[in-house]
Amino acid sequence: MNLKISALDYVQEVQNGNISAEDFIASTLERIRSVDEKLHAFLNVNEDALNQAREIDKKIKSGQKVGACFGMPISIKDNMCIKNSKTTCASKMLENFVAPYDATVISKLKAKDAIFIGKVNMDEFAMGLTTEFSAYGPSKNPWNLDYTPGGSSGGSAVSVSAFECVASLGSDTGGSVRNPASFCSVVGLKPTYGLISRFGLISYANSIEQIGPVTRTVKDNAFLLNMIAGLDSNDNTTVDNKNEDYLSGIDSGIEGKKIGIIKEMIADGTDPAVLSATKEAISKLENLGATCEEVSLDMVKYSVAAYYTITATEAGSNLARYDNLRYGYDFSLEGYEFNSYIQKARKNFGPEVTRRMIIGGFVPSAGHAGKYFLKALKVKNKLTKEINEAFKKYDLLLSPTVPVLPFKLGEKIDDPVALFLVDINTVTANLTGKPAISVPFAISNGLPIGIQFLADSMNENMLLQAAYALEKTVKLPEVPI
Amino acid sequence: MVTEEEIEKVAKLMKIEVDDHKEYVDKVHAMIDYFDILDSAGVEDEEITMQEIPITDLREDEYIPFEEKLIEKLNHYKGTYVRAPKMS
Repeated sequence: MNLKISALDYVQEVQNGNISAEDFIASTLERIRSVDEKLHAFLNVNEDALNQAREIDKKIKSGQKVGACFGMPISIKDNMCIKNSKTTCASKMLENFVAPYDATVISKLKAKDAIFIGKVNMDEFAMGLTTEFSAYGPSKNPWNLDYTPGGSSGGSAVSVSAFECVASLGSDTGGSVRNPASFCSVVGLKPTYGLISRFGLISYANSIEQIGPVTRTVKDNAFLLNMIAGLDSNDNTTVDNKNEDYLSGIDSGIEGKKIGIIKEMIADGTDPAVLSATKEAISKLENLGATCEEVSLDMVKYSVAAYYTITATEAGSNLARYDNLRYGYDFSLEGYEFNSYIQKARKNFGPEVTRRMIIGGFVPSAGHAGKYFLKALKVKNKLTKEINEAFKKYDLLLSPTVPVLPFKLGEKIDDPVALFLVDINTVTANLTGKPAISVPFAISNGLPIGIQFLADSMNENMLLQAAYALEKTVKLPEVPI
Repeated sequence: MVTEEEIEKVAKLMKIEVDDHKEYVDKVHAMIDYFDILDSAGVEDEEITMQEIPITDLREDEYIPFEEKLIEKLNHYKGTYVRAPKMS
């Protein structure tokens, strides 16, 4: 069984009767059994997947209507609720939490006959960019097991890259889909804020986070986006996309398009290999008929500080619900006073979540809000103005997705400020609500490099067209696992 | 400059026990110090805009029955009440 096929090819093959959903799922489960001990992408594997695949095969054989996924195995980041299954957020705090309902993205994919092959690893509560903050241990980069796969949706990127599923859903608050997509050489999209419902996504920083597809090809990403985008009455921040078909016209090319190269995202500190790959991407885009020139977004320099200030504030509020009365592990109330009980429960948070909760209490507090939180909101506002101005002149903006190559596990975990700076190229899309995509572009000394495009709000069509055009210019080696 | 005492005080208010000074206070200190860069952004005169959703765009405010008893999913409940430890 060829597990390396794209989502679109999978659908074609099952539709034509060349393969059965059951055989494909059986081989996928076998693949997970053989490689995941090394990779640790999965926190939970769906033991019922094979039965679900048989049901879909039955529907196909009996001529019943079958959803567009045809039993495609999709992995789900473990911060999205699937009814009656564990949703841990890679935290000890939610170790035994069984979701009582489906997230909207899950209901939508279920209606399309997708099979959720398992829940995948992440940094605890999506706070981190290496998966090292998972309470269940880090995932490994399939390109080199000593290296981080990126994060926080590391499990999503690893499972797609290592052929343990066909596609995955991650969530992106400051680059958490695009960063691991870049580090694992897969495609990762952070859509326009509001394009995909967040109902059933465990909240971290509501005002900027979005669910996004992780796939092996740009077309697969558009295919998945078609199924999960659009209005949801359970999330009033969603926007009407008028049932846009993101696959339609994806091969329109980029001739005549104007692309701005964000100066601050290729500044000092960018790895020479990343810089050289970016230059090569620019030259290829110019050969395809695009015009590229540098553009400055001055506020990018302050974006990481603004991002961490805003997200910590929202996290401090969101995580206040973890008091062990509604969520948490089972220990007796007897002998505890209210505050000491909650304090004991919160010992179950990992170090990064604990740190961000403290920061989240500090930066918006009376006496400090003016210096930190309010200033961060002002930077967000000014950055949005700058990027809106840039989109008056340019159709797209471009940068390397991450300014550095994937780094070794353990290398930066003790230096939170060094980790901050890895986010410099990705947080702008979140702070401004714009869509952005990471496309695999090069491999340097066995480590992947991704290129990021940004487009104006609700302009995913053009974003995917550009990503597809760039994807077609490269033939990358296969993942060595 | 933020002081260690301020960090410890906020941690207490957030009901977090800071037993490992290096892991929490020192690292939080370094993270907050980094945010000082915001002082040089020159955004003092900038406005803060919020996303506004007109009330007419919200879904109907109606009761949607849930098929299960959610209270039974809690660790500590008694009848229809959530049980919590005593407040001192």
